[in-house]
Amino acid sequence: MCHCSDCQTLSGSAFRTNVPVASGTFALLNGEPKTYVKTGDSGNQVTHAFCGDCGSPIYSRTSTEPPEYSLRVGTLDQRAELMPARQIWCSSALPWAMDLTGLAQNPRQ
Amino acid sequence: MKVTGSCHCGKISFEAEIDPEQVRICHCTDCQTLSGSAFRVNAASLPGTFVLKSGTPKTYIKTTADSGTHRSHGFCADCGTPLWATSPEPNPPPYGLRVGTLDRRAELKPSRQGWYRSALAWSQDLSDVSRIERQ
Repeated sequence: MCHCSDCQTLSGSAFRTNVPVASGTFALLNGEPKTYVKTGDSGNQVTHAFCGDCGSPIYSRTSTEPPEYSLRVGTLDQRAELMPARQIWCSSALPWAMDLTGLAQNPRQ
Repeated sequence: MKVTGSCHCGKISFEAEIDPEQVRICHCTDCQTLSGSAFRVNAASLPGTFVLKSGTPKTYIKTTADSGTHRSHGFCADCGTPLWATSPEPNPPPYGLRVGTLDRRAELKPSRQGWYRSALAWSQDLSDVSRIERQ
């Protein structure tokens, strides 16, 4: 999970939830995402891919050789089986984001 | 409360008035997919207060709501930042603003969670997930 301000803005939410892809296993099955290149503080460039029609964020890809892919867990069919192992950029985490237990829970809307 | 917001690349910016007591988390599966994350956090603009200050967002008409209602989702076609959801009615319509795009988001706290039945189990309590201040 990443709480950095870029992830907050680019997800529109409190944090992003990502999972790295084992090298060489990423395959685009259909469609062609739009891409946005973000340059980090380090100077490294990361390409962010999203659907140009609905805006769903799909993956990020480093500019290394070979490139490393990271997937957006919210788009994964198996997301209910995945648990985060660590949180980064906690220095910019929204104050409430790590504990929702006190908030009312409506099953539907 | 007046809020301003923008997409990551800065092409699209907006402002609105919101009720800071009405910030909501949504755990629906559409929000999970469309944010790529565990849930979305939204704040509805007060009627007539939303102003698009720059840029022209792309819109996606989502038809999968349980209610059958069609919602228009605005996002930046250049950087992909999701911005808001709105509907054709009423006039003027409220805009469900994506809190992650708001400059004052650190001042806002959600008051409730919707579509909790599809919440990812771990999303409620991250206290056991190791924390790194930076990377």
